[in-house]
Parts: sequence; C-alpha cells; structure tokens
Amino acid sequence: MDLFANIAMGMGVAIQPVNLAFCFIGTVLGTLIGVLPGIGPTATMALLLPLTFGLPTEAAIIMLAGIYYGAQYGGSTTAILLNLPGEMSSVVTTLEGHQMAKQGRAGSALAIAALGSLFGGSVATLVLAAFSPLMTLVALSFQAADYFALILFGLLMSVVLAHGSVIKSIAMVVAGVALGVIGVDINTGQFRFTFGMMELAEGIDFVPLAMGLFGVAEILRNLENRGGASATVIALSRLWPTRDDVRRSWPAVMRGTGLGSLLGVLPGGGATLASFASYSLEKKVAAEPDRFGAGAVEGVAGPESANNAAAQTSFVPLLTLGLPTNAVMALLVGAFIIQGVQPGPMMLMQQPALYWGLIASMWIGNLMLVIINLPLIGLWVKLLRVRYDYLFLAILLFCAIGAYSLSNSGFDVLVTVLFGGIGYLFMKIGCEPAPLLLGFVLGPMLEENLRRALMLSRGSLMTFVERPISLTILIVLAATLLMLALPSMRKKREATFVEEEA
Amino acid sequence: MLMSLRRLLAMLLATGLALGSVTAHAATDWPTRNITIIVSYSAGGATDILARKVAEGLTTLLGKTVIVENRPGAGGTLGTTLAANAKRDGYTLFLGQVSSHGIAPNLYTTLKYDPVKSFAPIIYLESIPNILVVNKDVPVNSVDELIKYAKANPDKLNFASSGIGASTHLSGEMFKSQAGIQMTHIPFPGSAQAVTSVISGQTQLMFDNMPSAYQYVLSGHLKALAVTTPKRVPQAPNIPTLAEAATVAKMPDFEATAWFGLFAPADTPKDIIERINVAANELLKKPEVIKFMHDGGAVPAGGTPQDLAKHVASELAKWKDVIEKAGVSKQ
Repeated sequence: MDLFANIAMGMGVAIQPVNLAFCFIGTVLGTLIGVLPGIGPTATMALLLPLTFGLPTEAAIIMLAGIYYGAQYGGSTTAILLNLPGEMSSVVTTLEGHQMAKQGRAGSALAIAALGSLFGGSVATLVLAAFSPLMTLVALSFQAADYFALILFGLLMSVVLAHGSVIKSIAMVVAGVALGVIGVDINTGQFRFTFGMMELAEGIDFVPLAMGLFGVAEILRNLENRGGASATVIALSRLWPTRDDVRRSWPAVMRGTGLGSLLGVLPGGGATLASFASYSLEKKVAAEPDRFGAGAVEGVAGPESANNAAAQTSFVPLLTLGLPTNAVMALLVGAFIIQGVQPGPMMLMQQPALYWGLIASMWIGNLMLVIINLPLIGLWVKLLRVRYDYLFLAILLFCAIGAYSLSNSGFDVLVTVLFGGIGYLFMKIGCEPAPLLLGFVLGPMLEENLRRALMLSRGSLMTFVERPISLTILIVLAATLLMLALPSMRKKREATFVEEEA
Repeated sequence: MLMSLRRLLAMLLATGLALGSVTAHAATDWPTRNITIIVSYSAGGATDILARKVAEGLTTLLGKTVIVENRPGAGGTLGTTLAANAKRDGYTLFLGQVSSHGIAPNLYTTLKYDPVKSFAPIIYLESIPNILVVNKDVPVNSVDELIKYAKANPDKLNFASSGIGASTHLSGEMFKSQAGIQMTHIPFPGSAQAVTSVISGQTQLMFDNMPSAYQYVLSGHLKALAVTTPKRVPQAPNIPTLAEAATVAKMPDFEATAWFGLFAPADTPKDIIERINVAANELLKKPEVIKFMHDGGAVPAGGTPQDLAKHVASELAKWKDVIEKAGVSKQ
C-alpha cells in the first residue's frame, strides 16, 4: 500500500497552486510548440532551461516535463488536420490521421488521439510509480562496470535508432563524446583540450550547446523557408468518435500503451521510436491491412498511445539510475543539476516530494491536456498563422539572455551562436544533432565509469565479465550488433524509414 | 525568467552607478553605492547560499544594497582572479574559501593571484566539518578498527571524494599518511555521487562535508566514525573528533574543514575593512544567522581580520604539506 501513500503524497505536492500553475504552463507550452512545426520539445526545453533557475525545484521540473509530454499531444493536432507533423513522434499519425480528416472524420481522429494519449499516459505513469522504487533498489547494486556497459549500450542504441545513415550517427555520437571530455579530467585534475582558454577549464556548458544546436539552428533553418507551404486546414466536423472507431481503437490503444511503456524505458528509445513501432505492429496484426493508408483509426490510436506512454516511462532510467536515455532526458539532467538535485538512486530517498510530485503531476498534466486540447483545437490551428519573424526574434533574444545569465559571461553567448551555426550545418548535411547531445552527456560518464571500474578492480579488465549485471548487458549488446549485421534486419530498418518518408 | 531579468537589471544599474562615480571617495562617506560580493561558484552552491545570507545581513547593517555576483569557471579560480584585480575602493568584496585560500594555490602553478598578497582579509565566517563515514557493511565501528582493518587488508579499501584537490580528497590523503595505511582514491564529480557510492558499497569510506553525508548517518545507511574538527560538532555531539578517536595512530592536529571567509582586494582602505569586520561580527551573533549556519551543518566563526590572516597562513601551509605527501600532481 506504500504505492498509494506515495502517490497521495505526490498528489499533495502536485496540486499546490504553484506547481499546478507551472504544470499548466508546461503543458500549454508543450502543446503550443507541438502544434508549431519546426520547434520541438528539445529546443524549447533547452531555451527555457536557464530561466528555470529562479523557480522552486518542483515547479521547474514539473514544467519541463509538461513541455515534453505536452508536445506529444500538440504534434498530433497538426498532423491530423494539416498533414504537418508538429513533432517527430507524430510523423506516423499523419499517415492515417490525415486520411481520416480528408474523409470528414477529423473530429473522430482527434478525439481518439487525445483519449488514447490520456490512456497511454495514465497507465505509463502508474508503471513509472510502481516500477521505479524497485528499480531504485536494483540501481544501488549498479557499480562502475555496470554503468559502463549500460552507457555503452545506450550510445549504441542511439546510433541504431537514429534516422538516416549509421555512419553519420556514429560520427555525431563520437563528436558529442569528444566535446564532452573538454575540461578538467576528474581522475587527474589535468586540463584537456582547453587550448589554454580558462573559459573551457570546466568544459563546454550543456545549456548553450543545446540551445545552439537545437534552438538557434532550428530558427536558422526555418528562416530559409519563410512564407512557403501555407497548409490547408480541414474544417472540423463533430468532435466525437463513432462507435465503430472506438471498437477498432481500444485494442490498438492497449497494444500501443504496452509497447510504448516498454520502449520508453530502453536506452535510446523514447516517444518517436514507440510511435513508429506501434504503427508497424498495428499494420501487422490488422485483419485487413489494406485499410492502412486509407484512414485506419488503429493507425492513429496505437501510435498516439504509444508515444505518450513512452514519454512517461523514459523517466524511469533518469530517475533511478541518473542516466538519460534520449536528448530530452539529457536536458532534464541539466535542469536537475541547475536545481542542485543529483538524479540517481538516492533521489527517491532524498527528494521524495519532488519525485512523487513529478509523477503525480504527469497524471494531472495528462488530464489537463485533454481538457485544453479538445475544446481549443480551433485556437491551436489559428496559431499557425502567427508571424514567425516576431516569434524568432523573441526566442533569439531570450536565448542570448539565458546563455549570458548562466555564469554572467559573454563566452556562453558565443558558444550558443557557434553551435547554432554548427547545428545549421549539421541539418544541411543531414546529420541529426540528438545523438551528439546524448554523446556529450553520456561520453564523460562512459569514460569516468570505465576508468573508475578499472581503478576499483585494480586494473583488471575481467571486472566487466565477472559482474553479472555488466555481463548481461554486454551479451545483449553483442546480440544486438549481431542482429544488425544480419541482412534481413538491415532490410527491415530500411523499410521503417521508407514508411517514415511516405 | 523574472529572476534573471531582475539580476540583469541590477547589474546594469550597478555598472551605470560605477561609471557615475569615477573619483575615489573618501572612506568616511563609504558606502555611497551598492557593494558587490564576488562568488567564484554558480548560484545555488554552498558558497553562493552563504554569500547571499551575508549580503542580506550586511545590506541592513551597512545601509547600502550588497549584491552577490556569481563568476564561476576554471575550478573557482576565475572569480578569485577577478576579485584580486578589482578596484580597491571597498565596493568589491570576495567570498573566499578553503579552495581559493588554502588548496588551489598549492595545486595550480598558473594562478594569477596570490592568496596572501592579493587580498586583505576581513573576517572568518564559518567552517563546515568533514565527517568520516563508512559503508554499513564494512566490519568496523571506530577509527581504530578502521586502521587495523586497513592494515590487515592492504589496499582493499577505496575512499571516495568529490574530486581531485577537494577537501574531501585531501582529508583522505591526510588520513592515509597519518594512519600509515594504504587505500585507493576514487574521485567523483561532486559529493552526491561520491556519497552514493559509499552507500552502495562500491567504495568503502569517505571524508564528506557534514551536511551532505550526515542525513545518511541518521537514516542508518552510513556509519559515522569521526569528525575532522579540533572540537566536537554541536549538531552531532556523540561523534568523536579524529584526534580523540584515533589511538593506534596519533593524529592530534587533524583538522580538515570546508571554511569560508570574507576578503577584499589588497590595499582596500583599513577603516573600510574595519567597518565591514564590525558589521559582520555583529551579523554572526544574530540568532537567525547562527541557526542558518547550524542548519547547514556549519560552525559560525568571527574575529578580527588578523584572525583570518592567521587561519589562511596555517591552511596554506597544511595543504601544501598534504599535497606534497600525497603526490598529487600540480597544474
């Protein structure tokens, strides 16, 4: 019954007016940027990170989390009505959702997406609440060797699951790791790769790097296609799903929720992967696969539940092991550190109010999302007509202020600008910045844990195979690599991306 | 958002005022404008929180707003260097600590400040004891047992620290050499991760700053063996000092604390130093300040500028010795 006592405590924290307000701000902001194509949750959270400084810890984290799962909702609205996915994770929703809208079933699609998301989010939140205290106990038996194996696995998965060329993903991860090791080496105290610049002695700060790569670069890219592609909005009919749609949807929602909850926990996973996987699954189990591509409601219900479920469960490794499994979680690590909280096995004990408050706020946030989304769909669609010029100017200004206020130094502003340029270049040559960010955060942890493991074993490499946790992870890692090398798997991976481009 | 904007405004305002008063004021009408305390670490850390408390108190006592300016970077040496080179007019102060005025000068060869010549000491503010904690499954319950255990199991023990050159690291090195034992240093990026590793048993012991570790002693996750102060700590009167507890190896002068003091750039007028010292001493006697320090695991200090000068001299000498004996490589 501890679970209920804990959830009750979390509710107590989450319904405090301040936290409720920031949960609302977060979810609305999330929906907003979810609706606006081109601005994703990673960029938004990166931009807002320095501004969370003066907030109470709970409020800051609750708001940032709200942006993340709020974006999963907002993205689907434009995907269905405009065939314009607001987010990566709602790309698959366009496939069936927009077809439904064209057939005059837009209302039905939107309602199914929202309710499926609510269900997926709520169940996954329960999974998180029930599962993470157990995980925390396990996490304390994780030692340096185990962390090393797990991080290696996470980096590998981020390469495997990234879109496009594997070579490019590897390059991005490696670039991230290289940037991450700049600064004082914690094992010897020596400066590395600082080129005599004292500003680099503590390494490149995560916030300006992320703001540049995601925020500034996105804006640069958006400035390119100004005025183009004015989308046609499909008029809304009734906002209630038909009985037939509900009947077809609920098994898909269940499957999507299960799949999403599972994939969210895996390193390198997250909302995007979950929605793609769920779509493939629905197509496979469907009695009449021909309906897919012509407005099959399962193709909306499954992926929408899956991406929301995954958005919630991807908090598990972060909250229990202190390991971020995707770029958004990496940003949250930054947010926790700014607030003086070390995410990891001791967090549950040290910050129970924050921990359970966050989990409870997710449930409240999901409910808020349904309430703000369904009646306000018309308003969100109007938002697409906001002039981006003004929006971009404001965002850039806040970027500069935010970067400067980190340590009252102009250097961080320069770093932001520099990585804005680099990020733009990456987009031009088709490199995804997300693996870089993950490499940047996980790289130093990888090195630290490798060296720590060897120090603890007094130099014996056997430590990685002697420890059961590490051994298990390394075996899984080897198996994954083997499977990837098999030609049949390669074909499948390509097929996924063909679907995505459709 | 509000906070950063407000901070920005405050800074703009301060700069504007600074430009407006180029001529040096006679010390008699000091202070006529805002006073800045430079903190060489990010907002939210232990140094910053103390500085803000001091700034708040001095604002009331001196009648002008005292603001905290965070200048983190280069392991805390960036802000110290800036403070050392600030104007000597009494409007820039520095919150120095064990790192800036004890350890860093012995660890870095490239420092652009001299801890003694570049600064005028004002007042010793507080010290935070380190506490020797061991994992609850390590079969020792006292410092003597720990030393015996370490001698019976050479190089089996690992001690965690919050980083190379931190007081948590050097306390361990000092203990190693005074007890004549062998153990391996495992550095972590910060106290939180280091203490987690002692709780999980990945490492066996640590000299942690009291506020970070003591909660786990109370919750039964860690065993506390000793504190590293000359006298017992009021917040935990049943934990012996290392000098009391160690009988198989004598360590009568073992003192390793994270301490904080207020400084001004060297050659700041004497009467200004005197006025800040009087005000700060008054501040340190206020019950709410004493409570604030106790709650943070600290012991309030106080005294004359000369007291702080003496403390700095003895700290510099002590850490020089420890760093040389431990063979920590210099930068």
